[in-house]
Amino acid sequence: MELYSPPDLGGALRFIEHEDKHVTVIASGTDLIPRIRKRQVAPSILLDISSFKEDLRYIRQSGGVTRLGALTTVADLQESPVLDGRLSIVREAAELFGAPQIRNVATVGGNICSASSSEDLIPVFMVLGAQLKLLSAKGARTVPLTDFLVGKRETSMSPSEILAEISFEPPAGHSWTAYEKMGRRNMLIIALVNEALSLTMEDDLLTIHSARLALNRVTGKIPAMAVRTSEFLNGRKATDETIAEAQKVLAAELALTGDFRASASYRTELAQAYLKRLIQRCHRKIEGSS
Amino acid sequence: MTMRVISLNVNGTDHSVQVGPLDRLIDVLRDQLGFKSVKEGCSTGDCGICAVMVDGKLVNSCLMLASQCDGRRVLTLEGLVNDLSMKRLQGSFIANNAAQCGFCTPAMLMASWDLARHKADPSEDEIKVAISGILCRCTGYYQIIDSVREGCKRGTT
Repeated sequence: MELYSPPDLGGALRFIEHEDKHVTVIASGTDLIPRIRKRQVAPSILLDISSFKEDLRYIRQSGGVTRLGALTTVADLQESPVLDGRLSIVREAAELFGAPQIRNVATVGGNICSASSSEDLIPVFMVLGAQLKLLSAKGARTVPLTDFLVGKRETSMSPSEILAEISFEPPAGHSWTAYEKMGRRNMLIIALVNEALSLTMEDDLLTIHSARLALNRVTGKIPAMAVRTSEFLNGRKATDETIAEAQKVLAAELALTGDFRASASYRTELAQAYLKRLIQRCHRKIEGSS
Repeated sequence: MTMRVISLNVNGTDHSVQVGPLDRLIDVLRDQLGFKSVKEGCSTGDCGICAVMVDGKLVNSCLMLASQCDGRRVLTLEGLVNDLSMKRLQGSFIANNAAQCGFCTPAMLMASWDLARHKADPSEDEIKVAISGILCRCTGYYQIIDSVREGCKRGTT
């Protein structure tokens, strides 16, 4: 195995432009290094982009859009004053991510490109409708996060591309966002369930205008939007009855498989309980701030 | 496999070391440079026993390639033996029986030292967060939490 550490982003993009061999991009390596050592992956060439902090590590806000450079660390998210109000969900998820030593190095881009069901930040960015900017030697293109993930550890990124930026806007109107995560211990844990909700209410503050729910392990092994549950909630009053019905829709929508961490039925109950908690948390916050 | 030479400042001293593509920071610190306070526990980022400071941030040295540390500053427990704050923490760990087998102790001390730099009087929750990435298999944590609380207070010994 070879490790290539180009001096700059342009050099990295040129390196993968015509590279026929399988190149694996490494950012901080908190996910990739143990996987290589456990022989779950065997890259022939590693492309180290961790030193491009000037180009790819930033949190910017302009015109209502928040932009995160792909090398922004999870600790950067925790400490960012920009991520407050309706975007505080990002900080909330960052605080429950890994542990301090992991958060100090683990990157937002790495979490997304690892593309497995245990990536804490993906459901959060999904409910925020995140767009991803992919760079290649030929230029840039933007894809929605929901189209980027195609399977477990599979993305729609071409081998000649590098994820450069994640951008999103806070939901408009009477809105709030919230996040829940359950693991077998508080820190350093791969979530049994993590679930994110963005809720927008009508002017009456009783009727749900739109809901966006995302969690890991919806139909398969990747995080995804719970589309049917979200659609069920739209236009209904946020009552206990609606929530109870929505929990049933969610259980039917989730095609969970159990594994060594938790059974499918346990995960389903947890996801249902979190749905109720998330709706209530968002609703209370919207009522309180309107 | 191509070897490369990197420069690493460890505890204030510059070193030039030859590393392979998959050599991690922990491998260089322990095996090439002899900093044995850095322990290898799980090697997968679950136990945090290998924690060191890199450019002022606490990190797991088993989750970082040595090549990624080229030109960076590393601090291990060996570099803090004469540091007043570390001496206070060590004294407090001893007084409160916070070390049993001792395997996690260097990492616990590094995380506590990092906390003490920012907080003179941390709350129990702040202490728990600061050491949350380090697994202790013997003491049950409360001796450690008490030690950190006492050790962070400046002006005590």
